Amino acid sequence: MKRVKLFAFMLIVAVSSAHAQDADEIINNYFENTGGYDNWGNLEGVKMTFKVKQGGLEIPVEAVQMADGRQYSKITFQGNTIMQGVYDGKTLWNTNFQTMKAEKADSESTERQKLNENDFPEALYNYKDKGYKVEFVGKETIEGTETYKIKLTKEPVTVDGEKLDDITFYYFDTENFVPIAQETEVLSGPQKGVIGQVTFSDYQEVDGFYFPFSMTQGIKDGGSSPITIDSIELNPTVSDNDFAFPEGE
Amino acid sequence: MKNLIYVMACLCTILTSHGQAQEEIVLSGKELFGDLQARQIGPALMSGRINDLEGHPTNNRIIYVGAAGGGVWKSFDGGATFKPIFDEHAQSIGTVAIDPKDPDNTIWVGTGETWTRNSVSIGDGLYKTNDGGKTWEKVGFDKSERISSIEISPNSSDMYVGVLGALWGDSEERGVYKSSDGGKTWNKILYVGPSTGCGDLMMDPKDPSTLYASMWEFRRTAWSFSSGGNKSALYKSTDGGKTWNKIHNGFPSGKLGRIAIAIAPSNPQILYAVLETEKDKDNGLYRSDDGGANWKHLNNDFGLVVRPFYFSRIVVDPKNPDVVVKGGLFGSISRDGGKTFKNLGPMHADIHDILFDINDSDRMYVGTDGGVYRSWNGGTTMEIVPNLPLSQYYHISVDDAEPYNIYGGLQDNGSWYGPSSSPGGVEARDWNSIGFGDGFRVLKHPTKNIIYSEMQGAENVWRYDVERDKVKTIQPLPVKGDPKLRFNWNAPMAVSVHQPDRFYMGSQFLHKSEDMGNTWVKISPDLTTNDPAKQNQESSGGLSKDNSGAENHTTIFTIAESPIDEKVIWVGTDDGNVQVTRDGGKTWTNTVANIQGLPKNTWCYHIEASNFNIGTAYAVFEGHTKNDMNAYVYKTSDFGKTWKSIVTDEIYGFARNIQEDYVNEDLLFLGTEFGLYITVDGGKHWNKFTNNMPAVAVHYIELHKKTNDLIMGTHGRGIIIIDDISPLRELSQDVLQKDVHFFASKPTIMVEESGFGGGSTETQFVGPNPSKAARIVYYLKKRHTFGKMNMEIKDNGGNTVMELTPGKSKGINVVTWNYMIRQPKVAKGKTFSFGGFTSPRVPAGTYKVVLTKGKDTYETDLVLEYDPSSLLTAAEREEKHNITMKLYNMNEELAYVVYEMDEYIARAESLMKEDAKAKKTAEAVAKSLNDLKDTMVITKGDNYVGSAEPQLREKLSDLYSKIASGYEKPSASEMQNLQLLEERFNKAKADFNKIKEKEVSKMNTYIQKNNLKPVELKSFEDFLKI
Repeated sequence: MKRVKLFAFMLIVAVSSAHAQDADEIINNYFENTGGYDNWGNLEGVKMTFKVKQGGLEIPVEAVQMADGRQYSKITFQGNTIMQGVYDGKTLWNTNFQTMKAEKADSESTERQKLNENDFPEALYNYKDKGYKVEFVGKETIEGTETYKIKLTKEPVTVDGEKLDDITFYYFDTENFVPIAQETEVLSGPQKGVIGQVTFSDYQEVDGFYFPFSMTQGIKDGGSSPITIDSIELNPTVSDNDFAFPEGE
Repeated sequence: MKNLIYVMACLCTILTSHGQAQEEIVLSGKELFGDLQARQIGPALMSGRINDLEGHPTNNRIIYVGAAGGGVWKSFDGGATFKPIFDEHAQSIGTVAIDPKDPDNTIWVGTGETWTRNSVSIGDGLYKTNDGGKTWEKVGFDKSERISSIEISPNSSDMYVGVLGALWGDSEERGVYKSSDGGKTWNKILYVGPSTGCGDLMMDPKDPSTLYASMWEFRRTAWSFSSGGNKSALYKSTDGGKTWNKIHNGFPSGKLGRIAIAIAPSNPQILYAVLETEKDKDNGLYRSDDGGANWKHLNNDFGLVVRPFYFSRIVVDPKNPDVVVKGGLFGSISRDGGKTFKNLGPMHADIHDILFDINDSDRMYVGTDGGVYRSWNGGTTMEIVPNLPLSQYYHISVDDAEPYNIYGGLQDNGSWYGPSSSPGGVEARDWNSIGFGDGFRVLKHPTKNIIYSEMQGAENVWRYDVERDKVKTIQPLPVKGDPKLRFNWNAPMAVSVHQPDRFYMGSQFLHKSEDMGNTWVKISPDLTTNDPAKQNQESSGGLSKDNSGAENHTTIFTIAESPIDEKVIWVGTDDGNVQVTRDGGKTWTNTVANIQGLPKNTWCYHIEASNFNIGTAYAVFEGHTKNDMNAYVYKTSDFGKTWKSIVTDEIYGFARNIQEDYVNEDLLFLGTEFGLYITVDGGKHWNKFTNNMPAVAVHYIELHKKTNDLIMGTHGRGIIIIDDISPLRELSQDVLQKDVHFFASKPTIMVEESGFGGGSTETQFVGPNPSKAARIVYYLKKRHTFGKMNMEIKDNGGNTVMELTPGKSKGINVVTWNYMIRQPKVAKGKTFSFGGFTSPRVPAGTYKVVLTKGKDTYETDLVLEYDPSSLLTAAEREEKHNITMKLYNMNEELAYVVYEMDEYIARAESLMKEDAKAKKTAEAVAKSLNDLKDTMVITKGDNYVGSAEPQLREKLSDLYSKIASGYEKPSASEMQNLQLLEERFNKAKADFNKIKEKEVSKMNTYIQKNNLKPVELKSFEDFLKI
């Protein structure tokens, strides 16, 4: 009988320790379990190739994100290359779909991009050093699954002349500590105020790190587009030209 | 110790294995419903009742709307558009307040509307957000029911809440509360009794320790309303609420009713109050110029005295203390300090709140029974905000048209019908008006194009001939020997599935017509309690008489003819009777005494006669008008001899309506004050449905027989549909225990339609259409997070025709496929060939869905059928398909030819650079191929008006797209064009072959001779993969 009581006691201890999860533990667990905290910090960059599917339309994309903040997404379609969200450390630019020429993003978007320079491999990584705030909001069921909800507040951003808080919510699966969803408020345009949602699944190992190979991107409680990742390359070789704004085109 | 560990391990195993064998899986709604999503289709054109408007103190782009039944909406663009930000909580809003110390982030919401008409919803406390509305926490005041005011100090942690409190009963959770720690702890600082609440609370904008509180003695029952008493008073405190004094100097003596109060922001010594008093001459507007020490009566025009319980809001221009606006039937504005008033400009009647822009007083926002209006000229011209779908349905019904229509009546907004889907989405212009006044029940004649609708108290019951646009009123009239007919405000009507021309209405009697309302027969005695104490509506209202008919009581409220036997009719009354006849009305039995645990005289809101068993029925009761907020839902299987409660603690809030499934008797849908609940086991467990479904009062539910759509009439968020609930029919413990379960699905019709439609402007609400794609629906016992999971569609030859991305959620997943294969690979060019974005449809037939999850695979069939309205014969369809695929293949073949040419050109160019001797040979290749390529694809220009002349690629892909996306057989003109393009393509290929034989061959020989890198070409199959 005593033993049964002891067993029950241990169960209670296990349950209450789960309740005592704080945000740092959850974040550390995630980085530790998916590659090791220090290893994540040593990554120099990631290149992904994936497909965005829209009805019967499949759009292949190559995306590169470097530790110093440089990034691009390259869409190759009917032999045309369209660059989106390209950032070379100074300039944020995109290919205009009509003229197929490079155009600089507006200054507010560029400023926001500059603020994100230090968000590799993840905004949550070493968040304290960046002056970000993290808060454990509570448990929430998302994708039918119990998660820890964590709120990340980064530096304020300027949108349409207004200074706004830059907040992201992360939902970590309570069973395995990987994020299965992420939410951010749309800050500009007709969808302003709506909550954008990204979900993550099909985590697989790449050279010792775990990455989600399947995502959906859309609006919370609304439609979403799936993204299927074909390959991930760590520390890719890139040149400055890949990111540079093509002056004089 | 070792022993202990061993024992524990055994115990653990026993416990787990025991658990596995026996354990019932009980999932919450969020774990179960997965991808089943509610679809909100509005309408927004007439919007709904607004309780409160609030503006950001320094940023005039930000505006909040507190709706009476539709939650909190936020505008980021100065009122052009609004987004809902409070969907998970009670949707009945009393007040929204912004913390002036942190106005971007800290917002408070007091729930429970405060303009206390008969049909109000309830709130359940005070809420706070620290992030501008993204996340909310409940702070308390669970039993407050209605919070009228929140005042927050601009320079300290002090804040105050005014609780109006319970409408239908005594409550001690009323009065004024103060927190000195920013809302963590609260003290009641002004309380005058259990029937008197705080109607309004104001803080002096320049001195936060000065407060004004108007206290109101009031009470509603189902059959009467009372405003006013000796406890109603206006109080002032100058010490942060420690002491309160009545400030009535200049007010009449005697009882007071509801008191509106306003402070002029530009001069807080100037106050306005609107009084409800014992004498008409004393009612209306009072002004004080000394902070309430003395009052002067200024005006008792209609606009200032009308229905104080509904319109006690007065607002002063932030810049000019003499510009005053009062809510009312039309709204009144004074520009002379309250001496005289004129009406606000034309808009929906019943004005509840007014908000001035902080910078420009010409910009005004007005909250009405019909949404929010904007003015740019100080209230003279008003325009509606067309994107607030806050319509408040009392009742809905559906027809069997395709797409089906939804009929229903709205609080103060008439009766309407509109389609469940429409080209371009369900827009304002899709809705048709079919009744005036307050609308309630609207029913379509089962076979004829006739609609029945009504207004309050059955004052008019319309029979509308839709095609001929003719209308006749057909309400039952008293005949010789009849007492006064008592119709409910929301009078019941019913049609019969057995006799299409039969039409029922209920007063205290059940009336039946067999000729669509021309001739009426009473088929019952008075079925109510006929309690005379509840029939004295003429004296209702308290200090201000208010006999609108809204309090009519001891009436029939619900009528249900059995779908199995027309002689079995159930009737429920608002005073708590459940009557049944089994002989078409000859004899009636009141069965309510057989219901255990139901408080006496609890309003019978809905009876659902079962589709499965003649003696089975469900009865939903609600006692909120007796201050009883519990849910009461009972089932009988023996014509009411015995009843069993099917309510569990999982249900929050009182219930109004239940819908039985047509296939699975244990699948039931319950509409409550705070949303939708679903049971799949006959009521043993209830799951709250929250996927895009706000916590809104669900007044009526229908299940569409053909589409299996669940349609809800909500009182604050319009029509909400869950498309095709049929997967829920299969949910059982057997299914829930499986790792993966595919739900059966009906064959999918591959819809053929133009794609035209949609004419709404940027700020108009458009309700989304249901997806027309094929649905693959399955249950996952656990979310898939690690490892690969994919889904393929295979044809009957086992070929993969499409790869889909499966959902990974625990619970129900819905994956859609638009019955298309991938778009063709189109030749590389300088610009886009837009025709190449088209994907062709697959032929009808049975396809296999293969779900691969790690090492396991799961399969199900998917059946596609052609649209029965198609113009194509089988032979024509085959021809269309063949031509489409021929062009698809030609596009890909051209892509490969151009790829080959590009490879040769690239090699020729590199060769020229690496070997000067090769120049002549390589140059010939580059030139001849580039010349030819110029005729095959666009090699210059852009995607807009700088475009170059279209070449073969563009012409081929355009013709392909034209035929693939059309729904007729290829026309003669198209076939001629195809012939032209084929000839051109053949010639191009022949020219290419010539160049290959001559120039390219020469270059290859050169390469070979000099041992240089040869041209390596991918095979056609490999090329298609890149």
